[in-house]
Amino acid sequence: MAIEHAYKKLKEISLEEFILPGTSTCGGCGGLEALRLAHKVLGKNVVFVNAAGCFTLLALFPFSPFKGSWLYTTMASAPAGAQGIRDALDLLIARGALSIEEDLQVIVLAGDGASYDIGLASTSGAIYRNLDFWYFCYDNEAYGNTGVQMSSATPYAARTTTTPAAVLTPEGTELPKKDLFEIWRAHCPPYLATVSPRHPLDLARKFEKAKAFKGPKLFIAYSPCPTGWHYDPGQTPEIARLAVETGLWALKEAVHGEVAHTYIPKKLKSVEEYLQAQGRFAHLFHPVRQEAALRKIREAITQYWAPYLRTMQNAK
Amino acid sequence: MIRVRFHGRGGHGMKTASRILGTAAFLEGFRVQDSPLYGAERRGAPITAFTRINDHPILERGIITIPDLVLVADETLLEDPLANPFLGLHAGSLLFINSPTSTQAMAEAVAARHPTPARILTGDLTALTLEKIGKAQALSATVGAAACKLAGVIGMGALEKATRKELEELGLPSPLIDRNLEAALLAFEQTPRVPLASAPPQPAPLQGLVVPVYQPPARGTPSVAAPGNIILRKTGGWRIFRPVIEYDKCNQCWICFVRCPEGAISLDEKEDPHIDYDHCKGCLICVEECPTKAVVKEREVHAW
Ligand SMILES: Cc1ncc(C[n+]2csc(CCOP(=O)(O)OP(=O)(O)O)c2C)c(N)n1
Ligand code: SF4
Repeated sequence: MAIEHAYKKLKEISLEEFILPGTSTCGGCGGLEALRLAHKVLGKNVVFVNAAGCFTLLALFPFSPFKGSWLYTTMASAPAGAQGIRDALDLLIARGALSIEEDLQVIVLAGDGASYDIGLASTSGAIYRNLDFWYFCYDNEAYGNTGVQMSSATPYAARTTTTPAAVLTPEGTELPKKDLFEIWRAHCPPYLATVSPRHPLDLARKFEKAKAFKGPKLFIAYSPCPTGWHYDPGQTPEIARLAVETGLWALKEAVHGEVAHTYIPKKLKSVEEYLQAQGRFAHLFHPVRQEAALRKIREAITQYWAPYLRTMQNAK
Repeated sequence: MIRVRFHGRGGHGMKTASRILGTAAFLEGFRVQDSPLYGAERRGAPITAFTRINDHPILERGIITIPDLVLVADETLLEDPLANPFLGLHAGSLLFINSPTSTQAMAEAVAARHPTPARILTGDLTALTLEKIGKAQALSATVGAAACKLAGVIGMGALEKATRKELEELGLPSPLIDRNLEAALLAFEQTPRVPLASAPPQPAPLQGLVVPVYQPPARGTPSVAAPGNIILRKTGGWRIFRPVIEYDKCNQCWICFVRCPEGAISLDEKEDPHIDYDHCKGCLICVEECPTKAVVKEREVHAW
């Protein structure tokens, strides 16, 4: 399939809105920003299958922001719902009741709680069966809809309502973030990528590129959450930019399992700039600096990037 | 029993205000109950929280439909059908509205638009909060303090302890807690004491069981058959600040249009951006991101 858009300039982004305003997501929601940009690339022929989470508030009975269809499923079973819809569409096409032009792309929408924790098994099943679908995980690093509880996507040392900074756990969350990208990659899906709303062209190029593949097309969208992360909503793009520039959020893709970074920061910014911008990390700096925790965060970043930065240097 | 209902928007801290009132009353020796309404609550969306105070065990549960005291953190909520702060007000109850408008002017405006038997009182807690805490929306301490004063059974000592406890639990740094405490004590002092009259009898609880009946999915599942009709729902009232475009500075770079999560900024044929104020939630991403500083913020004025 020919690539329709190269997405080299901001002005190639579609002017058409596919998700209309009036929804109940928080002002400044980074997840919605990412989804809106992705939808502009996907176009109108889509049907969403939404696992319970913040995005179920996009459609709020009796209202819907979508121009097309949307189905709400239980938290763990959106990929199973996607299978049902895909099968139904295929049957309709086989019977001649639906033309190929009218066919819809089936897209799972799920938060990190649904994706990293409770829905992981059904996603694994769907990827294993090579289901032809898209998966959009908006990763706000906690169970946002129910008031910001820790999920296995919550990064080390972030404070959530279930992992407060307390005497026995001064750093808040004790465990590191689960590597969903690698778990999904182990299934060898045709296309897999991470995106960020602050990099709209990188995001658009990836969704455009994925259109060429049949089978699972999986995305993890970094989704700054002003409510859960405790920063002013206007800072959403800046937080997202810092996540990428400090090396915490790597922009990458994997085609049939082969990983490539789509953006490598020239020099990693100090991660403290990112941490200090958010209330969920405030306890690392007040009332005392938690040096050991900060060192651990820095070391994890260095460890992640070491092989890539080395390859880059060797290439020079 | 004193039944208190708080109305605010997500981010105003009304859940914390209801907890401050509850904890302060508990410290004064009362039985208390406080809870927010679980629902689609989001930063900016209408939020409701409840506190019950009694001198013996509280057997009542759930939302408060006949309140003695209602506190409204943001006067735009008076007009919001989702918030409905007038619900169940009676002649003995008091409606406190956080607003710079005087009590008399507010009472007249309310009488003209939403006749209510309740007495009305206003106080400008936002000005106090801005001055002492620096953030217009951080209203939990000041509204909590006004509630303590109006409940009539809570002293300053209990208010101070309760505020400190609740804010510490939220993990606020101590200098910020001190500023909140200062603001809370001032709010307590500046709020007059108005006696509450006791409520008329509450509705009797439902007797017997309601047996749910199976309905096939076509009837039993809510479905929407009008695509995109959410545009009918206005979220412009969520704003505390309004982004305003100064067109002489705009260089048509598309950045505000691309970054707006809501899709509330559109471009015309000259590529000039336009903000849909019916839906803009006031996140101010456009103000932060505009490279030429062509988008500025203005305080929303909420007068009718
Ligand atoms: C099996 C099950 N457990 C709990 C819930 C309650 N619940 C609804 S939304 C939600 C949070 C989902 O978190 P996440 O997937 O991270 O999405 P977010 O809310 O952050 O958008 C929870 C726990 C549920 N719907 N189903
Ligand atoms: S809680 Fe976070 S992820 Fe959920 S709607 Fe609000 S900003 Fe978006």
